[in-house]
Amino acid sequence: MSNNSEHTTVYGATLSRRQFVRAGGALVVGFGVVATRLWERPAQAASTRNSLDAAHSSSWFEIHPDNTILMRTGKVDFGQTTAHTAYKQIVAEELCVPFEAITGVVMGDTDRTPDGGFSAGFLEYGGANLRRAAAYTREALLDLAATRLGVDKGRLSVKDGVVSASGRQVSYGDLVAGQQLKLTIPVSGDLTNMFGLTVTGNPPLKPTAEYTIIGQSYPNTVTPSKVRAKEVWVTDVRLTNMWHGRVVHPKTLGSTLISAGALDKARFPSAQVIVKGNLVGVVAPTEWEAIRASQQIAADTKWTEWKGLPGHTDLHAWMRQHADWKTTPVSKSDKNHGDAGPAFQSASKSLTASYELPFMKHAPIGPTVAVGDARSDGTVFVHTHNQNPQALRGQLAMMLGTPVDNVVVRIYAGPGHYGRSNGGNAGAEDEAVILSKAVGRPVRVQWMRPEDLQWSTQSPASFSDIRIGWDASGTITGYQADHYMPAMQDDRLVGAVLAGLPTPPPPDVKAEAGSISSTVNSIQDPWIYDRVQNVAESGFGTFQIGQKASPLSIGLRDHSMRTPGQLQQNYPRELALSEAAALARVDAIEFRLKQTSDQRLIGVLKAVREASGWQTRPSPRPNAAASGASPIAGQGVSAMLRSGTYWACVCQISVVPGTGKVTVDKYTIAVDPGIVVNPLQLKRTIEGGALMGLSHALYEEMTFDESGVTSKDWRSYPILTMADVPEINVVILPHPEVGAYGGGSEAANALAVSAIAAAFLDATGKAARRLPLKPAYVQSVLKA
Amino acid sequence: MAGITLNVNGTHREVQVAPDIPLLYVLRNDLELSGPQFGCGLSQCGACSVLVDGKEARSCTLTVNRVAGKEVTTLEGLAARWAARQGLPASEAERTLHPVQQAWIDEQVPQCGFCQNGMMITATQLLEETPQPSVAQIKTAFTSGPSPHLCRCGSYSAIIDAVRHASSLIAKGR
Repeated sequence: MSNNSEHTTVYGATLSRRQFVRAGGALVVGFGVVATRLWERPAQAASTRNSLDAAHSSSWFEIHPDNTILMRTGKVDFGQTTAHTAYKQIVAEELCVPFEAITGVVMGDTDRTPDGGFSAGFLEYGGANLRRAAAYTREALLDLAATRLGVDKGRLSVKDGVVSASGRQVSYGDLVAGQQLKLTIPVSGDLTNMFGLTVTGNPPLKPTAEYTIIGQSYPNTVTPSKVRAKEVWVTDVRLTNMWHGRVVHPKTLGSTLISAGALDKARFPSAQVIVKGNLVGVVAPTEWEAIRASQQIAADTKWTEWKGLPGHTDLHAWMRQHADWKTTPVSKSDKNHGDAGPAFQSASKSLTASYELPFMKHAPIGPTVAVGDARSDGTVFVHTHNQNPQALRGQLAMMLGTPVDNVVVRIYAGPGHYGRSNGGNAGAEDEAVILSKAVGRPVRVQWMRPEDLQWSTQSPASFSDIRIGWDASGTITGYQADHYMPAMQDDRLVGAVLAGLPTPPPPDVKAEAGSISSTVNSIQDPWIYDRVQNVAESGFGTFQIGQKASPLSIGLRDHSMRTPGQLQQNYPRELALSEAAALARVDAIEFRLKQTSDQRLIGVLKAVREASGWQTRPSPRPNAAASGASPIAGQGVSAMLRSGTYWACVCQISVVPGTGKVTVDKYTIAVDPGIVVNPLQLKRTIEGGALMGLSHALYEEMTFDESGVTSKDWRSYPILTMADVPEINVVILPHPEVGAYGGGSEAANALAVSAIAAAFLDATGKAARRLPLKPAYVQSVLKA
Repeated sequence: MAGITLNVNGTHREVQVAPDIPLLYVLRNDLELSGPQFGCGLSQCGACSVLVDGKEARSCTLTVNRVAGKEVTTLEGLAARWAARQGLPASEAERTLHPVQQAWIDEQVPQCGFCQNGMMITATQLLEETPQPSVAQIKTAFTSGPSPHLCRCGSYSAIIDAVRHASSLIAKGR
């Protein structure tokens, strides 16, 4: 290798180049060998932090002499296909290569991806990183091409990975062949905290008007392997000498261990019981022996009793009276303005109402599972499905008291759990590591169905007090909202808590640096009705229910779930607006249009009105009925701004007052995300979100008693089935002039709940101000 | 422990397992098949479904001794099952997909995909028995049996689209 080295600056990034005498070469170090058994892929060496240095473009993209490209992202796709479609489209577009040139995506593995951070808001956050990294890389390639072709960079054009000028051309593969190139790009942040690293600076971005790849409906490249049973799921990881583990979790969410049961060695000759603090684990060579032995141990293990929870029956009354809403600072919307107090006095009419939402579970179809491999050399490998592998890595290092360099997290496809692990903790990982370390071999910990409902985190219950005043013309003069919700981001590893090992603190009034784990209830639902003169929106937070009283410091641990916080604030707002429109005798869509000058909001509201067959008239409908055996139809609307995307939703439902049965007949949604990256995948993701929202609205409520969660299976925590699928109509409104990719995987679930509740008001003339709309509750509302 | 001979995807395999072990653990851990998934262990979700003599069954609660002598088909065996029914040569069977699998790709059904094993198994049984199902028949097929098939990602409408598409593929003989 020669010592000739050149350095050039590319928009703040630095390109260094050396002649490389061997054959091959790449824009960087190439390793890209895919092992046949994924869990045997070699660790990526030559990095001081046991991960790829995000300051190097090589950590993001490997451009090979054959013009193929390997792409890496620390974000973990959990079903919305973003990493396999939208991310590839963004990168291919910015690099000016064909979509098909990106032949590989490395996702999430902490030693093989550069950026870290939570896997949510894929397009808003992770997409921006890839877009900038690709832009820096394209500019560096153009600089190389200018030198190679001997022309000014400004005269170059590039298409399909081939740079041309004056009738001469060179491909990216030609440019990197025989070279060792290193592009250093500017980044900031902390790899192993909640947010990970951000690519900074402002490289020139490709004009959106020139897009040819973004906007196309590319299929998900992972789908064939999942459909053909070729995918390596997290459930499939089998390491050499691996044993199976089960954890016997405490009897209640506050029970401490009195004595662990003794193993029946006659029945389970190979199994071992591991006790560490309040963590009781069972390991065995086969999964069936581990299951049976853990059942025997569970039956023979003694725990203290604990009754420190209020139970779900009168939860919201208890929260209002007994939860501590005073210690945590009150948050205010940045859109608050005017003075709502006098506005209500001058209003011709007003509505004052309270709205309640239950605890809900993330409820993945498969319970959490992980393989821990604590090796004799002090390194620890964890194989899992997780939305923030770098944060998990940091937490495992803290738990073990070992440098973060010693921990590697490997990522596989798994059952989507919609936010549960975006702070690093899916459930089984730390327990797998603890048991592996105890027995000196890899251990696979699989939670069973009851544990996954009873020992995982949940989306917190909430309530809101809303007041709306309006004048004779139906214009809102004042809006006041007080939102109440316990902390919703407990990122502690539960096995570490049980074992008495170090963890981050439970959510307190102030989050630690790099964390969002606090009791503060921030305003998550952007105010979109800009014509309203007086707005006062406040968020009141408190500690997790039962956590301080629990001797384990556990209680009801909460975690963000799809459209987190915003669902809990948008549902009361949008339902209250529909109620106010009804009281003002104004059509609910017209009422919203009166309150805004935002053209994108107006656009989605008008589009959803058109597409849904909305009847323009005030609610309740003519002949609305709160009794009788015949179904009565109703319509409801909702709207939202989330992650740069405008949404409006109409649900048409029918209610049978006599039975209390609510059926959603049609769900129509209009979405304006600015730039639409992939219409087909956006549509499928929205359909899925819509049905999750129906599930929230009609079925979902976590039940619990004084000791713990009583939702333990799919009968006690029912979710939507195919029987309830309505006609779904997704209307996509591209606005590329916005210049940004708005999010698409959230919001649709949250919009359903208020639109369905508003349709219930339309059909029956009665306001149902809590969820879910189960028959017994519906009947109580109709009789009131 | 006892030796039990299983007929899985057309191949006879002898396994040494307890007779009361659920079939799912044998398929996954002894035969290293990855199609059927552990979802609940309670016959409440359908992630573990397989075909036993052509009928959808929940392998998470079905003990292994009850399938001795019966024909078990997992997701891995759908393509060969289709090829055999169409009388395709073995060489072609390896390259083909069951129309249900093809439709699942064409319609981009999976979100996370964890439940789709059971969805494709039940779609296969439905289309073998009712080649041109109505939407109502599709909904019934996926919500009857030991329990409704559950999908957390809400792919149900995509599944309905895909079953109808698979039906048309079958009608065309692919």
